[in-house]
Amino acid sequence: MWTRRGSLGATLPKYSEVLSEEGKTEIMLGNAAIARGLLEGGLQFASAYPGTPSTEITEALSYFASKKGVPYVEWSTNEKVALEAALGAAISGLKAFTGMKHVGLNVAADPFFSSAYLGVDGALVVVSADDPWMWSSQNEQDNRIYGLHAFVPVIEPRGVQEAKEAARLALEWSYALKRPFLFRITTRIAHSRAPITLGKINLEELKAEPRFRRDPSKWTLIPEFARRHRVELLRFWEEVKGELSDFPLNSVEGSGEIAVLASGIGYVYAKEAVKDLEIPVTLIGISTPVPLPDRVIEKALEHDKVIVIEEGEPVVEAQLREEAQKRGSKTEIFGKMDGTLRRYGELDLAEVREAIGRTYGMEVERPKVREVPKLPPRPPVLCPGCPYRSYFYALKRAVNKARVEPIYSGDIGCYSLGITPPFEVQDIIIDMGASIGAGGGMAQAFREDPKRLIIAIIGDSTFYHSGVTSLINVVYNQAPLLTIILDNYTTAMTGHQPHPGVGIGAGGRPAKEIDMESVVKGIGVEKVLVADAFSIKDSEEKTLEAIKYVIEQRKPAVVIAKGACSLVALAHARRKGIKVPQYYVEESKCTACGICYKAFNCPAIIKKEDGKAWIDPSLCVGCGQCEQICPFGAFVIKERVPEWDQLLRTAKPRW
Amino acid sequence: MVGVKLNVVISGVGGQGLITLANIIAKASLKAGTPVVVAETHGLSQRGGTVIVHVRLGEVSAPLIPKGEGDLMLSMELIEALRYSDYLRGGATAIVNDYLLPPSLPDVQVPTRDEILKAMNGIKVVTVNATQRALELGNARVANIVLLGRALKEGVFEGFFGKEEVEEVLKEMWPKAYELNLKALNS
Repeated sequence: MWTRRGSLGATLPKYSEVLSEEGKTEIMLGNAAIARGLLEGGLQFASAYPGTPSTEITEALSYFASKKGVPYVEWSTNEKVALEAALGAAISGLKAFTGMKHVGLNVAADPFFSSAYLGVDGALVVVSADDPWMWSSQNEQDNRIYGLHAFVPVIEPRGVQEAKEAARLALEWSYALKRPFLFRITTRIAHSRAPITLGKINLEELKAEPRFRRDPSKWTLIPEFARRHRVELLRFWEEVKGELSDFPLNSVEGSGEIAVLASGIGYVYAKEAVKDLEIPVTLIGISTPVPLPDRVIEKALEHDKVIVIEEGEPVVEAQLREEAQKRGSKTEIFGKMDGTLRRYGELDLAEVREAIGRTYGMEVERPKVREVPKLPPRPPVLCPGCPYRSYFYALKRAVNKARVEPIYSGDIGCYSLGITPPFEVQDIIIDMGASIGAGGGMAQAFREDPKRLIIAIIGDSTFYHSGVTSLINVVYNQAPLLTIILDNYTTAMTGHQPHPGVGIGAGGRPAKEIDMESVVKGIGVEKVLVADAFSIKDSEEKTLEAIKYVIEQRKPAVVIAKGACSLVALAHARRKGIKVPQYYVEESKCTACGICYKAFNCPAIIKKEDGKAWIDPSLCVGCGQCEQICPFGAFVIKERVPEWDQLLRTAKPRW
Repeated sequence: MVGVKLNVVISGVGGQGLITLANIIAKASLKAGTPVVVAETHGLSQRGGTVIVHVRLGEVSAPLIPKGEGDLMLSMELIEALRYSDYLRGGATAIVNDYLLPPSLPDVQVPTRDEILKAMNGIKVVTVNATQRALELGNARVANIVLLGRALKEGVFEGFFGKEEVEEVLKEMWPKAYELNLKALNS
């Protein structure tokens, strides 16, 4: 049921609470609470690339900036650029934030490590939103380890309830210590809601007052200076272990022979479990997992037994074990390294309760769980009216006509959904931009095989993120690769953020539009074809031409398939009062052949009991794709609306 | 377990207004002075995929409901009610939209409505014609409000928040569509 979103008329803006008055309590999404905390801390600069579950922090900040004019907020091309931009601002004395999903920090790891050496003159908070159990990601990764590796202190809020306060404190501590801080959250902080009591935002403080103290020995990492930085960094690391002991969101509650040391979101699980169990323990709840503060270690090792509760890898546990060994402590330590708790996935209250109970010496029964019969999966699918569906249909026809054996090198975005039947056009998926990078390698591997065709499929936002550099490599080395860039003028998967090809910046600011076709031609691709993704005929013809070129010339070619995200087009139609047309099935013409619901698979087309097709009027968006695929002309539009056809081909996100 | 808490599992298909439903419950709880934590599904699962939202009311801290400890389910679709029924304890109540939407996959085999309801044995299932009622009211989008109205009638939120708080929230969130939402809530 992807019906017309928001058709109930005016709704409050998604992030209006970020503007709410001091003293009010609002139900806030964790990410919005973090944005509010940064603003209360005096944030002056924000740069980010969207990525679930981190996106809404920057969305909320850009909403605030669009209303108040401050702070400066930008969507950057990718996470590396975003971190460099924020670091540049922080070197210029500003209080800066950059945010990304966990794998985004892999992209930004290079400047992240350098930032620890340099330090800042203002403040720098790098938010990493980790995604245990991979709800929207390709791997599980605990980025607190980056903190240990790079010598950057890590703050993690103890649940969504403290997200706002923790963010404010992270920015303030970074400013006070002149060091970058990593702020680590997980999905259940980013995407949980709870009542949050708001503090004061001082608009004057959010205005940038840049300064630059010229000092190459401080701000350049040539070997001579880097060596000094390295030694200073190690000294800082030892000192900060003492200072973080006093972090306001670290606490000790109750007392007992065993201690529960809980970090970040682990704290709310531990707190509830201890309450449920009604046992006397010392609950040490911390927001500072890296480096583990001295007094936290001392307190924990006063006990006979310590159980560590944390989400992700055993980062706190490993440090505690190291310290216990160094200090010759007899304290028994339990956690993920000895199998007391699971090392994969998210924390589970029942498991935490049982583990703490067992450590205490009591048997805790797990709740009885019902068996659920096997059900068909319900994977996310391309929306009705998605231009990727008609393009994929055309692509498969072109590949069949050319009689080649394709390998589809996939990427991260809505087109990843092309993995499911009937399309199955994602044979490998690695990371952002890898479709072209890995596709180039595969094309070189198969270069002597005249039947094999490697097809890279990438979206517009991902292309600008990191596809560009890979395509340069493909052209430079003349890999016989067909690259399809699906251009829907937005970063659709994360909720319609703009990107360099759109001509709009964060918060709806006007921006320079970077023309994709010119970029591709400028790189040196000799065969570039632009197709209307909503037209199956046009897409098929151009794709076939490109396939033949790659097969015959053994050189790279690019097809840019253009068509707006139908959700964006619908939003425009609603605002402009354009009627969205609908299709229906002419019963007498339908032969129940099943092409529409089997080979094309639009969610709005339902198979009836007699095998004929039926269009669900609550789902149909009148895109006209079904009319093109039915050989019998059974799909009929009630009324043509040329403005709507135009919107489907042009609509760009609007703030 | 000690303490007064209510674990509510909300399930359905991405796009059915599940996050909105959880948000209304959270805002109503805040008005009633009841502590609340809501954990949502975002991103990839929004587009026609399966969705579960965890809503925890009362003396709670952690965001997720463990399997076997859910007290109440609000489901907008039958298959998704059964899929997440393992989150419910024996004797829990499930308010379920009497609406079956097969997953959008070629040649998918789905259980029938009656097979699904039979498999929910041991759970007190209340079926509601929420989608049908919403369409009668002229807007499929208010089906979630019809479901919430029925849940309130069953008294499942007693002691946590009441109908008055929900009405206030609806008025604040959609002032222009208040009449329609009120009709949905009362139907």
